[in-house]
Amino acid sequence: MSGETAAKSEPRLTIQSRLDDLALLWPWIESLSAENAVPADTQFAICVCLEEALSNVIRHGYRDQPGRPITIECAPGTDELVFTVEDQAPAFDPLAVAENAPGAAPASIADFPLGGRGIRLMRKFAGSLAYQRLPGGNRLTMRFTVQR
Amino acid sequence: MQITTEELADGITRVALDGRLDIAGAAAVDLKMNIIAGSAKKLLVDLQKVTFLGSMGLRSIVLPARAVHSRGGKVVLFGPDEMVESVLKTSGIDSLLPIHHDLAAAIAALQ
Repeated sequence: MSGETAAKSEPRLTIQSRLDDLALLWPWIESLSAENAVPADTQFAICVCLEEALSNVIRHGYRDQPGRPITIECAPGTDELVFTVEDQAPAFDPLAVAENAPGAAPASIADFPLGGRGIRLMRKFAGSLAYQRLPGGNRLTMRFTVQR
Repeated sequence: MQITTEELADGITRVALDGRLDIAGAAAVDLKMNIIAGSAKKLLVDLQKVTFLGSMGLRSIVLPARAVHSRGGKVVLFGPDEMVESVLKTSGIDSLLPIHHDLAAAIAALQ
Protein backbone atom coordinates (compact mmCIF):
# COMPACT_ATOMS: atom_id res chain seq x y z
CA MET A 1 0.00 0.00 0.00
CA SER A 2 1.26 3.45 -0.79
CA GLY A 3 -0.19 5.05 2.30
CA GLU A 4 -2.43 7.27 0.23
CA THR A 5 -6.06 7.78 1.10
CA ALA A 6 -8.07 4.70 0.17
CA ALA A 7 -9.31 4.91 -3.40
CA LYS A 8 -13.01 5.55 -3.84
CA SER A 9 -15.14 2.79 -5.24
CA GLU A 10 -15.64 2.71 -8.95
CA PRO A 11 -19.05 4.16 -9.77
CA ARG A 12 -19.57 1.39 -12.29
CA LEU A 13 -19.52 -2.39 -11.96
CA THR A 14 -19.70 -4.74 -14.92
CA ILE A 15 -20.56 -8.39 -14.39
CA GLN A 16 -21.18 -11.30 -16.69
CA SER A 17 -24.54 -12.99 -17.02
CA ARG A 18 -23.92 -15.70 -14.43
CA LEU A 19 -25.73 -15.89 -11.13
CA ASP A 20 -22.38 -16.57 -9.47
CA ASP A 21 -21.26 -13.09 -10.53
CA LEU A 22 -23.88 -11.57 -8.22
CA ALA A 23 -21.40 -12.21 -5.42
CA LEU A 24 -19.46 -9.24 -6.81
CA LEU A 25 -22.34 -6.97 -5.83
CA TRP A 26 -21.80 -7.22 -2.09
CA PRO A 27 -18.33 -5.73 -1.70
CA TRP A 28 -19.17 -3.04 -4.23
CA ILE A 29 -22.37 -1.99 -2.48
CA GLU A 30 -20.72 -2.16 0.92
CA SER A 31 -17.96 0.18 -0.25
CA LEU A 32 -20.39 2.60 -1.86
CA SER A 33 -22.57 2.55 1.23
CA ALA A 34 -19.65 3.31 3.51
CA GLU A 35 -18.47 6.17 1.31
CA ASN A 36 -21.94 7.69 1.07
CA ALA A 37 -23.00 7.14 4.70
CA VAL A 38 -25.86 4.92 3.63
CA PRO A 39 -27.85 3.55 6.59
CA ALA A 40 -27.94 -0.23 7.00
CA ASP A 41 -31.63 -0.48 6.13
CA THR A 42 -31.13 1.41 2.89
CA GLN A 43 -28.16 -0.77 2.01
CA PHE A 44 -30.38 -3.80 2.62
CA ALA A 45 -33.03 -2.33 0.30
CA ILE A 46 -30.46 -1.64 -2.41
CA CYS A 47 -29.23 -5.22 -2.21
CA VAL A 48 -32.76 -6.66 -2.42
CA CYS A 49 -33.49 -4.63 -5.54
CA LEU A 50 -30.16 -5.12 -7.30
CA GLU A 51 -30.11 -8.86 -6.65
CA GLU A 52 -33.59 -9.10 -8.11
CA ALA A 53 -32.90 -6.80 -11.05
CA LEU A 54 -29.72 -8.60 -12.04
CA SER A 55 -31.12 -12.08 -11.63
CA ASN A 56 -34.06 -10.99 -13.80
CA VAL A 57 -31.68 -9.85 -16.53
CA ILE A 58 -29.72 -13.12 -16.37
CA ARG A 59 -32.71 -15.46 -16.21
CA HIS A 60 -35.29 -13.62 -18.30
CA GLY A 61 -33.42 -11.04 -20.38
CA TYR A 62 -30.46 -13.20 -21.39
CA ARG A 63 -32.37 -16.45 -20.75
CA ASP A 64 -29.40 -17.87 -18.84
CA GLN A 65 -27.06 -17.36 -21.78
CA PRO A 66 -23.63 -16.95 -20.15
CA GLY A 67 -20.95 -14.40 -20.98
CA ARG A 68 -23.19 -11.41 -21.66
CA PRO A 69 -22.49 -8.09 -19.98
CA ILE A 70 -24.52 -6.27 -17.36
CA THR A 71 -23.39 -2.86 -16.18
CA ILE A 72 -24.49 -1.33 -12.90
CA GLU A 73 -23.78 2.32 -12.33
CA CYS A 74 -24.22 4.28 -9.13
CA ALA A 75 -24.75 8.04 -9.11
CA PRO A 76 -24.77 9.56 -5.62
CA GLY A 77 -27.01 12.58 -5.18
CA THR A 78 -27.57 14.96 -2.32
CA ASP A 79 -30.11 12.79 -0.61
CA GLU A 80 -30.31 9.73 -2.81
CA LEU A 81 -28.40 7.03 -4.62
CA VAL A 82 -29.42 6.26 -8.18
CA PHE A 83 -28.54 2.85 -9.60
CA THR A 84 -28.80 2.18 -13.31
CA VAL A 85 -28.69 -1.38 -14.66
CA GLU A 86 -28.00 -1.77 -18.37
CA ASP A 87 -27.83 -4.90 -20.48
CA GLN A 88 -27.73 -5.91 -24.14
CA ALA A 89 -30.59 -8.37 -23.93
CA PRO A 90 -33.75 -8.44 -26.02
CA ALA A 91 -36.49 -6.17 -24.77
CA PHE A 92 -37.46 -7.13 -21.24
CA ASP A 93 -39.38 -4.79 -18.98
CA PRO A 94 -39.41 -6.25 -15.47
CA LEU A 95 -41.95 -3.65 -14.39
CA ALA A 96 -44.42 -4.97 -16.94
CA VAL A 97 -44.26 -8.49 -15.53
CA ALA A 98 -47.50 -9.21 -13.78
CA GLU A 99 -47.00 -9.57 -10.09
CA ASN A 100 -49.15 -11.86 -8.09
CA ALA A 101 -52.31 -10.05 -7.17
CA PRO A 102 -51.88 -8.26 -3.86
CA GLY A 103 -54.14 -9.62 -1.21
CA ALA A 104 -54.78 -12.85 -3.06
CA ALA A 105 -53.15 -15.04 -0.47
CA PRO A 106 -52.86 -18.68 -1.52
CA ALA A 107 -54.76 -21.14 0.61
CA SER A 108 -51.75 -23.35 1.24
CA ILE A 109 -48.02 -23.21 0.84
CA ALA A 110 -48.31 -25.72 -1.98
CA ASP A 111 -50.05 -22.96 -3.95
CA PHE A 112 -47.57 -20.24 -3.00
CA PRO A 113 -45.96 -19.17 -6.27
CA LEU A 114 -42.18 -19.09 -6.22
CA GLY A 115 -42.02 -16.55 -9.01
CA GLY A 116 -43.52 -13.12 -9.24
CA ARG A 117 -42.43 -12.00 -5.76
CA GLY A 118 -39.36 -10.15 -6.93
CA ILE A 119 -41.11 -7.23 -8.56
CA ARG A 120 -43.24 -6.79 -5.46
CA LEU A 121 -40.06 -6.61 -3.38
CA MET A 122 -38.51 -4.08 -5.77
CA ARG A 123 -41.58 -1.85 -5.60
CA LYS A 124 -41.50 -2.07 -1.82
CA PHE A 125 -37.81 -1.37 -1.30
CA ALA A 126 -36.89 1.08 -4.07
CA GLY A 127 -37.90 4.70 -3.87
CA SER A 128 -38.74 4.63 -7.55
CA LEU A 129 -38.24 2.37 -10.55
CA ALA A 130 -38.12 3.26 -14.22
CA TYR A 131 -37.59 1.12 -17.31
CA GLN A 132 -36.27 2.32 -20.65
CA ARG A 133 -35.75 0.31 -23.81
CA LEU A 134 -32.40 1.18 -25.40
CA PRO A 135 -31.46 0.65 -29.06
CA GLY A 136 -29.51 -2.47 -28.15
CA GLY A 137 -30.62 -3.33 -24.67
CA ASN A 138 -32.51 -2.35 -21.57
CA ARG A 139 -32.05 0.16 -18.78
CA LEU A 140 -33.59 -0.05 -15.33
CA THR A 141 -33.17 2.94 -13.04
CA MET A 142 -33.70 2.57 -9.30
CA ARG A 143 -33.62 5.45 -6.85
CA PHE A 144 -33.08 5.12 -3.12
CA THR A 145 -33.57 7.98 -0.71
CA VAL A 146 -30.70 8.26 1.73
CA GLN A 147 -31.64 9.80 5.07
CA ARG A 148 -28.39 10.56 6.84
CA MET B 1 -24.09 -18.81 5.24
CA GLN B 2 -24.09 -21.25 8.12
CA ILE B 3 -26.81 -23.71 9.04
CA THR B 4 -27.13 -25.63 12.29
CA THR B 5 -29.81 -27.93 13.58
CA GLU B 6 -30.98 -28.84 17.03
CA GLU B 7 -33.59 -31.34 18.15
CA LEU B 8 -35.88 -29.83 20.76
CA ALA B 9 -38.50 -31.53 22.92
CA ASP B 10 -41.74 -32.82 21.43
CA GLY B 11 -40.19 -33.69 18.08
CA ILE B 12 -39.38 -30.12 17.12
CA THR B 13 -36.42 -29.52 14.81
CA ARG B 14 -34.82 -26.12 15.12
CA VAL B 15 -32.80 -25.08 12.10
CA ALA B 16 -30.80 -21.91 12.58
CA LEU B 17 -29.55 -19.91 9.61
CA ASP B 18 -26.67 -17.49 10.02
CA GLY B 19 -25.56 -15.02 7.39
CA ARG B 20 -26.86 -13.60 4.14
CA LEU B 21 -29.65 -15.54 2.48
CA ASP B 22 -28.86 -14.16 -0.95
CA ILE B 23 -28.39 -16.29 -4.05
CA ALA B 24 -25.05 -17.62 -2.82
CA GLY B 25 -26.39 -18.19 0.66
CA ALA B 26 -29.41 -20.02 -0.70
CA ALA B 27 -27.19 -22.29 -2.76
CA ALA B 28 -25.11 -23.04 0.34
CA VAL B 29 -28.03 -24.17 2.49
CA ASP B 30 -30.57 -25.60 0.03
CA LEU B 31 -29.36 -29.19 0.10
CA LYS B 32 -29.22 -29.38 3.88
CA MET B 33 -32.53 -27.57 4.26
CA ASN B 34 -34.17 -30.05 1.91
CA ILE B 35 -32.69 -33.01 3.77
CA ILE B 36 -33.95 -31.64 7.07
CA ALA B 37 -37.36 -30.93 5.57
CA GLY B 38 -37.48 -34.48 4.27
CA SER B 39 -37.89 -35.87 7.76
CA ALA B 40 -38.96 -33.03 10.07
CA LYS B 41 -42.57 -32.86 11.17
CA LYS B 42 -42.30 -29.74 13.28
CA LEU B 43 -39.79 -27.28 11.89
CA LEU B 44 -38.73 -24.08 13.60
CA VAL B 45 -36.71 -21.92 11.21
CA ASP B 46 -34.55 -19.64 13.32
CA LEU B 47 -33.84 -16.44 11.37
CA GLN B 48 -32.33 -14.40 14.20
CA LYS B 49 -28.91 -14.29 12.58
CA VAL B 50 -30.04 -13.86 8.99
CA THR B 51 -28.71 -10.47 7.91
CA PHE B 52 -30.18 -10.41 4.42
CA LEU B 53 -33.06 -12.06 2.60
CA GLY B 54 -33.76 -11.68 -1.11
CA SER B 55 -36.32 -13.31 -3.36
CA MET B 56 -33.99 -16.19 -4.19
CA GLY B 57 -33.46 -16.80 -0.51
CA LEU B 58 -37.20 -16.96 0.00
CA ARG B 59 -37.23 -20.14 -2.03
CA SER B 60 -34.88 -21.70 0.47
CA ILE B 61 -37.57 -21.23 3.08
CA VAL B 62 -40.65 -21.94 0.97
CA LEU B 63 -39.54 -25.19 -0.66
CA PRO B 64 -38.59 -27.00 2.58
CA ALA B 65 -41.75 -25.67 4.20
CA ARG B 66 -43.77 -27.16 1.35
CA ALA B 67 -42.15 -30.53 1.94
CA VAL B 68 -42.98 -30.46 5.65
CA HIS B 69 -46.55 -29.27 5.04
CA SER B 70 -47.07 -31.95 2.40
CA ARG B 71 -46.58 -34.58 5.09
CA GLY B 72 -48.96 -32.88 7.47
CA GLY B 73 -46.21 -31.13 9.42
CA LYS B 74 -45.89 -27.55 10.63
CA VAL B 75 -43.34 -24.80 10.05
CA VAL B 76 -42.86 -21.53 11.92
CA LEU B 77 -40.39 -18.71 11.39
CA PHE B 78 -38.62 -17.32 14.42
CA GLY B 79 -36.89 -14.06 15.17
CA PRO B 80 -36.29 -12.26 11.86
CA ASP B 81 -34.94 -8.74 12.16
CA GLU B 82 -37.06 -5.85 10.94
CA MET B 83 -35.82 -5.80 7.34
CA VAL B 84 -35.90 -9.57 6.91
CA GLU B 85 -39.43 -9.58 8.31
CA SER B 86 -40.36 -6.86 5.85
CA VAL B 87 -39.24 -9.09 2.98
CA LEU B 88 -41.24 -11.99 4.39
CA LYS B 89 -44.36 -9.87 4.78
CA THR B 90 -44.02 -8.19 1.38
CA SER B 91 -43.80 -11.62 -0.22
CA GLY B 92 -46.97 -12.69 1.56
CA ILE B 93 -45.42 -15.86 2.98
CA ASP B 94 -46.26 -14.74 6.51
CA SER B 95 -49.89 -15.65 5.84
CA LEU B 96 -48.83 -19.28 5.49
CA LEU B 97 -45.78 -19.49 7.74
CA PRO B 98 -46.37 -17.68 11.02
CA ILE B 99 -43.63 -15.39 12.29
CA HIS B 100 -42.85 -15.38 15.99
CA HIS B 101 -40.42 -13.34 18.03
CA ASP B 102 -40.95 -15.23 21.25
CA LEU B 103 -39.42 -18.70 21.32
CA ALA B 104 -42.05 -20.12 23.62
CA ALA B 105 -44.79 -18.87 21.31
CA ALA B 106 -43.00 -20.31 18.29
CA ILE B 107 -42.74 -23.70 19.97
CA ALA B 108 -46.37 -23.55 21.10
CA ALA B 109 -47.43 -22.86 17.52
CA LEU B 110 -45.83 -26.12 16.47
CA GLN B 111 -47.76 -28.26 18.96
